[in-house]
Amino acid sequence: MNETNLNGQPLIELRHISRVYQVGVEQVFALRDINLNIYRNEFVAIMGPSGSGKSTLMNIIGCLDTPTGGEYYLKGVNVGELDDNELAEIRNKEIGFVFQMFNLLPRANALKNVELPLIYAGISKTERIKRAREALESVGLGDRISHKPNELSGGQKQKVAIARALVTNPSLILADEPTGNLDSKSGEDIMKLFHRIWTLGNTIILVTHEYEIAMHAQRIIRLRDGLIESDAPNSTRITYDSMVE
Amino acid sequence: MKVITEISEGIRLSLESIWANKLRAFLAALGVVIGISFVVLMGWAISGLDKALQDSINLIGEDMLYIDKWDWSGGKKWKEIRNRKDITYQQAKQLISQLTLAEIAIPGVTTWSAQVKANNNFYSGISIYGTSADYGRLPAGDVELGRFFSLFEERETRNVAVLGHKVAKTLFPDQNPIGKYIKIKGRDFEVIGVVKKQGTMLMDFIDDRIYIPIGNFLDIFGGEFYRSVSIGIKAGSIDRMDEVREEARGLMRIIRNLKPWEEDDFSINETKAFEEIVSTFRLYVWGIGLGMTILAFIVGMIGIMNIMFVSVAERTKEIGIRKAVGAKNRSILMQFLIESSTLCLVGALTSVIFCSILVFFVAKFLPKFVPETAFLQPFLPFDFVLYASFVAILVGAIAGLLPAIRASRVDPIESLRYE
Repeated sequence: MNETNLNGQPLIELRHISRVYQVGVEQVFALRDINLNIYRNEFVAIMGPSGSGKSTLMNIIGCLDTPTGGEYYLKGVNVGELDDNELAEIRNKEIGFVFQMFNLLPRANALKNVELPLIYAGISKTERIKRAREALESVGLGDRISHKPNELSGGQKQKVAIARALVTNPSLILADEPTGNLDSKSGEDIMKLFHRIWTLGNTIILVTHEYEIAMHAQRIIRLRDGLIESDAPNSTRITYDSMVE
Repeated sequence: MKVITEISEGIRLSLESIWANKLRAFLAALGVVIGISFVVLMGWAISGLDKALQDSINLIGEDMLYIDKWDWSGGKKWKEIRNRKDITYQQAKQLISQLTLAEIAIPGVTTWSAQVKANNNFYSGISIYGTSADYGRLPAGDVELGRFFSLFEERETRNVAVLGHKVAKTLFPDQNPIGKYIKIKGRDFEVIGVVKKQGTMLMDFIDDRIYIPIGNFLDIFGGEFYRSVSIGIKAGSIDRMDEVREEARGLMRIIRNLKPWEEDDFSINETKAFEEIVSTFRLYVWGIGLGMTILAFIVGMIGIMNIMFVSVAERTKEIGIRKAVGAKNRSILMQFLIESSTLCLVGALTSVIFCSILVFFVAKFLPKFVPETAFLQPFLPFDFVLYASFVAILVGAIAGLLPAIRASRVDPIESLRYE
């Protein structure tokens, strides 16, 4: 399963990453010195209180932001050297985002929302519809494809967002508080879905401040004040089987 | 392939968002709608004018020359032209008999406003045209009823008259005028023919005149010493215009006793002069129209730019989502340019539909009240519809440029956080 892991090439490699914001005359260090390897098919949770730098780290890993210091290799490519357009292309091909606020296009139906990344990948219309439909079916929304976001429940919206993240077959699923806006039942559904995606071979990074959510991951990285406080395997993991029971 | 996907997607999205905000889109595009309407309506008026011009040229004949005291193009040293000696009938006859290269040559002399009596009613403001029998051989002399007067009738100065189409209608509303008598300056003339409808917007006077033999004309209107005769010369083909013109000029100079160093004291007019008049007129139409059009487009552009800025602000989050899933800056730029262009194009199509309906009814009904507008056609010129669409797309792209640039620069991190 972990072929790249075996030959030693990490999917994500962060070397002395720092991110400084200029606020007036003051320099604010959101990230100070982050060193991190994440391998294929890992299920990682990044935890930390607000202000710990976890959002900044997620933005950098997601190629929405670039570090001010250090190097970030994604599949061996130095992301820091890429321009806006190349970053957009990487986000399109390699990364699937799942946000707390779902971030669906309100006027587009589920199918159109899931199609969106494929449009920017230049995929033909028939192929787009086929793949988007498959992705929606895989998250259990095959019967909701022409519903608009306001006709879906919170859990269903998040499933559409996960289908959208999966549709391009990315190297990495990046989820930012994916259950933060859901009731506990829907939250549990979503976590089950993440488990299933993971077993299919995907790499998942979960950014959260909720302990129970982080407990689903294989490995937990805790941030504090822009530094990694701890990075350890999760021995008390909640497994898919334990949820189903 | 990628670009095509994005463009077609952009057009679909734009149409959707226009449809979702119909009223807003209409108000935003109103300036453009008005601007496009100006362009299309101007084009319509001008193309009608051009058609009228072409009709007139066809009527007179492109291969016709008119030797005249007066100059058709106007403006040209008017005082000097006024002081030219009249061309006498004698001189005209001399020229006609000496021409060898022309197909037909006819003398012509006009009085613009004569009083005519028919059926015991008096009609004024009718023009009388004295000419030779050869006029009947010109396309302009084709008759719809009866015949043109003959060489014999001309020589014998018989009191015969051929009526223009409209005169026939005026004098004899519901009768066949052939064989009837009309009175011109107290003399009875027998109507022997009616000329086909010829008039166009530029030449509608031609349907409003009565043709009589030139000898009778000069007899009645006393003319030789007061009226200048013009000589119409049909070259036969456009290729022969130059040689016919040169022969006529040479002969005319001799007839008029001009010394080699003196300028011509007559003008040789051609249908080209009409084109000059029309092109001046066209320039006026454009000048006025263009001013209004530019104004409308500026207002229109501001409207479009404003609504696009609103649209960008409203959709900041959408832009962020699109960027997160892989939209490049130029994809976003393009999407908003397409949207503003589509908005303008839809505006243009709206105005084309509106103008088509307007033009159809105007061309259909206005000439009944204002006969001079008969040259208007009941449809829009297709090329102007194309120009208008192109201009609309361009205006949309220009107006949308700044908002689109702003959209393309939206920071995805900021906008995703934006609620």
